[in-house]
Amino acid sequence: MSSLLADAAIVQKMASEPWPDDVCLYQPYKSNEVGTADSVQQVLLPDNAQCLAVQCYLQMCGLPFRTVLRTNAEHMSPSGKPPFLRAGPYVISEVDPIIKFVSTKGHSLSDKLDRPQQAEMKAYLALVQGTLGNAELYISWCDPTTASEISRPRYSSPYPWPLNTLLAYRKQWDVQNQLKALGWYSKTLEEVYDEVDNCCKALAQRLGNHHYFFKQGPTELDALVFGHLYTILTTPLTDNSLADIVKEYSNLINFCRHIEKKFFEERERGPKD
Amino acid sequence: MEGHERHEIVLDSKPVKVERVHVDGLGRTKDDIIVREVKDVLNSTSFEDVILRSHHAKTRLERLGIFKNVGIFIDTSKGPEADPNGLEVTFEVKELRPLTGTANTMVGNNEGSMVFGVRMPNIFGRAEKVVSEYSYSNKQRSSFAVTFMKPLHGNPDYSTPGGRLNISGWKTVRHFPWSSYREVDRGVASEITFPLLGQQTLRWEGVWRELGCLTRMASFAVREQAGHSLKSSLKHTYVVDSRDDPILPTKGAMFKLNQELAGIAGGDVKFLKEDVELQVNKELVWDTIVSCSLRGGIMKPLKGTSSRINDRFFLGGPTTLRGFDMHGIGPKSEGDFMGGEGFWAAGLHLYTPLPFRPGKGGFGELFRTHMFVTAGNLFQPNLEDMYNYRDHWARMASDVRWSYGVGVLFRLGRIARLELNYCIPGGARTGDKVSESVQLGVGVTFL
Repeated sequence: MSSLLADAAIVQKMASEPWPDDVCLYQPYKSNEVGTADSVQQVLLPDNAQCLAVQCYLQMCGLPFRTVLRTNAEHMSPSGKPPFLRAGPYVISEVDPIIKFVSTKGHSLSDKLDRPQQAEMKAYLALVQGTLGNAELYISWCDPTTASEISRPRYSSPYPWPLNTLLAYRKQWDVQNQLKALGWYSKTLEEVYDEVDNCCKALAQRLGNHHYFFKQGPTELDALVFGHLYTILTTPLTDNSLADIVKEYSNLINFCRHIEKKFFEERERGPKD
Repeated sequence: MEGHERHEIVLDSKPVKVERVHVDGLGRTKDDIIVREVKDVLNSTSFEDVILRSHHAKTRLERLGIFKNVGIFIDTSKGPEADPNGLEVTFEVKELRPLTGTANTMVGNNEGSMVFGVRMPNIFGRAEKVVSEYSYSNKQRSSFAVTFMKPLHGNPDYSTPGGRLNISGWKTVRHFPWSSYREVDRGVASEITFPLLGQQTLRWEGVWRELGCLTRMASFAVREQAGHSLKSSLKHTYVVDSRDDPILPTKGAMFKLNQELAGIAGGDVKFLKEDVELQVNKELVWDTIVSCSLRGGIMKPLKGTSSRINDRFFLGGPTTLRGFDMHGIGPKSEGDFMGGEGFWAAGLHLYTPLPFRPGKGGFGELFRTHMFVTAGNLFQPNLEDMYNYRDHWARMASDVRWSYGVGVLFRLGRIARLELNYCIPGGARTGDKVSESVQLGVGVTFL
């Protein structure tokens, strides 16, 4: 309750202020990041998808921000999940609240959609977060091989022994409980792959041969889908089954390439921070 | 012995021999520790000696903390082979129950808590005990701890300085509203205490600390500290205490040195921390006591790490630097106190009995009035430039906070005291939380 009130107060207050210059997006360490030891390869498939979605959305809005990597990003985040945005005195975590925060500053990509389109977009957003998000969590933490070979070692990499083992198992236990509550834990790996395939099929049909999901231009749905699909395609796992499902849909691959080119590669040629 | 004829015997000159020592009522206690405590009685040479030595043995048995009560019976030897001067000494003991539960309230430094405990005295029969406690306080602090204590050979005492080994494990949840963070600690420790020029304690502890923000509005500097850390540290404590009472001393001095080296054998917290405490009490005329305390501490993060908020020093509060709120001075970030890597504090008290001495020799002795001056500061030491004393002095002397006032003290048992003071703070900097006028404090240690 108090956090709802606090949120309302924050929203009211921040609407009056423009986008600050010093906005930072905090996220966990990735592999091959400049200035980090190779051993710190912390970020996992589900978290990386969310981080990339937020980065993509901010790029689409043309808002300047700086990415800051912290090993404790997860614990710094008010909701306990990365990434989070620091804008002046405000700290906002996770994709949806960040999109809402950005819109209070007068930047919205879905304003140009009409009502039915907005409703459709919301349905697809829910589908993507619900299916791809949970599938990523399932594969990272419920598939024994992936959990033991990738997720636990990466999650525990910033911590000393014996805290590393302890925290990794605790995280696994937390995620498994979360998936149990959502009814995902009882699924088999095949069922999860089927869900992902169905979701991709729906997305591919909606996208068709366009650059974006809506003809008016990029929206948060494009950012979110890019975040998930690009992460699935580029993250090496114990086997490539998940990426192979996405690769079946050539228009989704083209969509990822286009967004990467337009919002990441072009920006990087500009002043980089 | 009733019904016997009366004889007049000169006790101290009559040679006697203690032939047997019985200990009745032993259950799970092992013989060797009892034999060690009572065998001295066999060396008695006169009847008076028997009484004295038996009494000492009784005291030692009681100090083991494993008996409810200990009684002594002395009788002449019986049986066909009995020596006419022979005596038999019988100790009747009643062992404590193997499992006891307790529930009580406790006062700490400005907080009150409920404590529920389970004790297993004498668990392995050699005066070892296991104490397990759960407490919950009005400051949202909760803790659970299990401690195994074992007296070391020849030092059976738990309460006064003596050798002992403690092994403990605990979990505590603490809230730090002045810094907007919450800390959950889970730790194990093993410590050995022994007398050597005072009392020495060596302790190793491994603590998993989990820090989180208390509210959404916590400052970013505190938010950056959130997460997990593991501290593996070696601590040494040295105490020399000649005071007649720890709460309302009238004479004597106390010196305490604490040092901690974190980062040995693992963990990601690395620092060296030293702090000292000195208190001198002197009686002037008419039961007036002047007491002077001095404390100081310094820490140095090691191996390129920076210090964490939960390892730094904090200052201020009704039991230390009076006239300021609990941990209410020093560097701040967006409203949260960040603590310092160095501190010093000094206090000067003039204790007097209550005016006109009501309840003299009785209830009135639980009270004192005092006038005090306290001063102190948190500072950032520059340990790169160790021998630049001028710089150290300048850092310590800048922004000194001080306060003075008068108040009434009330003794709460032998472990705590309550103070009601009227304080006038001075030297406060912007951002300090000043508590002017009346301030109430409860605590076990005092500046």
